[in-house]
Amino acid sequence: MELYLTSEQSLLRDSAAKFIGGAGAKVARGFRGQEPGFAPARLREAGELGWLGILVPDTANGLGLGLTELALVQEQAGRGLVCEPIGLAAISAAALAQGRTPHPMLERVMSGAALVVPALQEGAFGDNPLAPRTEAKGHGAALRLTGQKMFVCADGADGFLVSASGSGGPERCYVARTAPGCTLSAAQTVDGRRLSTLDLKHTPADVIPSRQSSRNAVDALHSLALLALSAELLGVMEKAQEITFDYLRIRKQFGKLIGSFQALQHKAVDIYIKTEAIRSLVFQIAANNDPYRIDPELAVAAKAKASEDALTVTQTCIQLHGGIGFTDEHEIGLYLKRAMLLSSLLGNAAAQRRRYAAIASQAEG
Amino acid sequence: MFRRDTPAETEFRMDVRNWLEANLPAALRGRTTRPLPAELMPWYHTLSRKGWIAPHWPKQYGGMGATLNEQIVMTEELARVDAPHLPVQGLNHIGPILMEFASDAQKAQHLPPIIEGSVIWAQGYSEPGAGSDLASLTTRAILDGDRFVVNGQKIWTTWAHHSDWIFALVRTDPQAQPRQAGISFLLIDLHSPGIRIRPIKTIAGDDEFAEVFFDDVIVPAGNLVGKLHDGWRIANALLGHERLATSNPQFVLMALERIKTMGRASGIMSDPAFQDRLAAASINVTVQSALFSHAVELTNQQHSPGPESSIIKIFGSELLQSLNELLVEAAGGHALSDQPIETDFGEVDVATPFLQARRVTIYGGSSEIQRNVVARRVLNLPN
Repeated sequence: MELYLTSEQSLLRDSAAKFIGGAGAKVARGFRGQEPGFAPARLREAGELGWLGILVPDTANGLGLGLTELALVQEQAGRGLVCEPIGLAAISAAALAQGRTPHPMLERVMSGAALVVPALQEGAFGDNPLAPRTEAKGHGAALRLTGQKMFVCADGADGFLVSASGSGGPERCYVARTAPGCTLSAAQTVDGRRLSTLDLKHTPADVIPSRQSSRNAVDALHSLALLALSAELLGVMEKAQEITFDYLRIRKQFGKLIGSFQALQHKAVDIYIKTEAIRSLVFQIAANNDPYRIDPELAVAAKAKASEDALTVTQTCIQLHGGIGFTDEHEIGLYLKRAMLLSSLLGNAAAQRRRYAAIASQAEG
Repeated sequence: MFRRDTPAETEFRMDVRNWLEANLPAALRGRTTRPLPAELMPWYHTLSRKGWIAPHWPKQYGGMGATLNEQIVMTEELARVDAPHLPVQGLNHIGPILMEFASDAQKAQHLPPIIEGSVIWAQGYSEPGAGSDLASLTTRAILDGDRFVVNGQKIWTTWAHHSDWIFALVRTDPQAQPRQAGISFLLIDLHSPGIRIRPIKTIAGDDEFAEVFFDDVIVPAGNLVGKLHDGWRIANALLGHERLATSNPQFVLMALERIKTMGRASGIMSDPAFQDRLAAASINVTVQSALFSHAVELTNQQHSPGPESSIIKIFGSELLQSLNELLVEAAGGHALSDQPIETDFGEVDVATPFLQARRVTIYGGSSEIQRNVVARRVLNLPN
C-alpha cells in the first residue's frame, strides 16, 4: 500500500531516490574489497542534503525531522545498495546532539566530514544490549572503557558510540578512533565490505547522556538503530522483488512467459505480502514514535520480522531467477548479501525474538 | 497498537464499553460458535433499539452514520467483551448493495427489517459446481412475464435454515460470453414453495452452513436488483470497508491472549522453543495491526487502499490459523477436548476455534484465488 506522506516527505523521498540514482548494484560491486568501501565524497553530499542531521534539532543546525523521514532515506539507501553509512551517521548525530551542550564532533558528523558509528553489539547475537560486558570506570575526564565490541561498521570511522556498563547502569559513550587503548581489527564480509572488532583497554571516553525525559541513552540509540536497519532492509526487499517481477514478465520457457505460471505467481505474491507487511510495520512505528524514545518492543519486532523476511524474500528472488540468479555477475545476489549483512547486525531474527520474549515476560511480571 | 483515539473517540469508546458491560448477557459472551437465533436475535434487537446495530449505515436508512474510526471502536469493543457473531448477511452484504443498486420500493421493503432484525438474510452465491470458479454458476432463472422461475442449487449458504430471504446470483443467459455477463441478482423469499433447505454440519461441529434447493420457485420480476444480466457487477461492487472491519487486529490479539492463558495453564511457557514461536506469533500480530492501521489511515485520507489491500485478508486469515495451531500446541493433550478447558487462569476453548479457523482461508475467495488476483491485478504478471 502506498504511504500517506506530507508533501515535504514526498519531496524528501524523491530527493533520496535521485541520490540513489548514483548508486546501485554496479557501484556497490565496485566498492567490494575497497578500503573504505564507500565514497567519502558521497557521504559529504548526503551531509549537504541535510540527511546526516535529519533527526538533529534545528537548534543544533539539524533538520529536526522525525522517524518517518529517517525511514524514507533508509528505505532508498536499501533500494540502492548504498554503501555510505548514512543511517548510522544520522543516528549517531542524533545521539551526539543530546547532551546539555552538543558534542564537539556533531557539526563534522552532520556535514559528513567525520564519521561516527554506533558500536553496541557484543557477541554473535547482540543479546541483552542493556547489560554490556564492556565496563565504564571513573567519571568525567577520568572515564575509561574496557571491553570488546563486535561487528562494528568501522570502515572510515573517526569515532564510535559505545555502550558500556557503569555504576548506574548502561551508559552511552563517545570513543575517538585514535584514543589510547582503542584497536580495531577488520574482516571482510560476504558482501565485500568490512566489519570490525573494537577492542578497548582503559580507553578514555565521553558520556553522551540522554535528553531529559527520554529513555535510557543506550536503549534509545539501540532501538533507533534497529528501526534504521529495518527500514534499510525494507528497501533491499523492495528493489530485489521489483527486479524479480520484471524478470518474470520477460523470461520465456515452454513457450510462455514464466510469470504466467501459477506456482511462480504464488511465490511472487508471498514475497510481495512480506515486503508490504514490513513497509506498514516500519512506517507505522515511525509515525507513532519519537526518535528518542521508541518503544523497544516495537523496534525489536521490526528488526526480527525484517531480518527474517528480507532473507526469505531475497532467497526466493534468486530461486525465481533460476541459474542466472546464482551467478556473481547478476545483481540479484548482491541483494541477498546485503540482506545477510543487515539482518545479522545487532542480532539476527532469532536473537531479536529471544529479546522480544524477554521484554514481553518482563512486562507481564 | 498504532491507531490512537481522539478524545471524542475515547469518550465514545467508554460509552460503548460501559453499555456493553451492562447489557450483553453473560451467557452470550465467549461463544466460539454462533448461538441459534432464539438465543442470539434478542441481543440483535437490543443493539437495534440502542441504535447501534449498523454503525456503517447512513442515518437515513436507520444506521449510525459512524465514522470509520467509530466503526473500528465498535468492532474492538464488541470483540473485547467477546460478543457473539451476529448474522451479517443483511447488515454487511445485501443492505449496502440495496442502498447502492435497488429501487426505492425495494429499499423501503427490505432495509427497515434488516435494522430491526425481523428478517434474516442468506447469501446465495456458491454452488456445488461453482466455488472458486463462481462465474460458472448454473442456477437458472427464466423470465416468464412478470415473474422468474428459478431452478438449481446453492451451497455453503450461511444460516439459510434460519433465514427468511436469500439474495442470489442466478443465470439468466446461459449463452452469454463472458459467462459473467449472463448473471443476474435476485431477491428470493425463502418461504416460497419449491424451496428445500438442508443444514450442513461443519468439522467444527456447528451447522452454520446449508444447501438450498430451488425447484420451479416463482419469484416476482420486481425482485430483480439492478438490470437483467448485471448481477456480477453488483455482487462485486462492494468490498473495501467490510473487508477492513474483518481484519481488525483485535481478533488476533484475543487469539494471542488465549494462547498465553493456555500456555500458563499447561506449563509450556517456560519452554524456549515455545517462547520463540510465541514471540514470532506476537510479532505477526503487531504486523497485522500495522497493516490495518495503514489501510485505515489511507481510507481516512480518501486514498482508497486499492486492490493491494487484499493482502491484509491473506495475511490476517493465515495468521489467525497459525495462532490457533499454536493454541493447540500450547494445550497438548487438552486440545482433544470438545468442551472448553477449565484452567486456573480461566476457561479456554481450544478445539472449536482451531477447527473454526480452517474456514477463514477458504471463504470469501480462498487464499489461492486471492493470490491469483494479486498476481494479475497488483503485480501485473502475465496471463
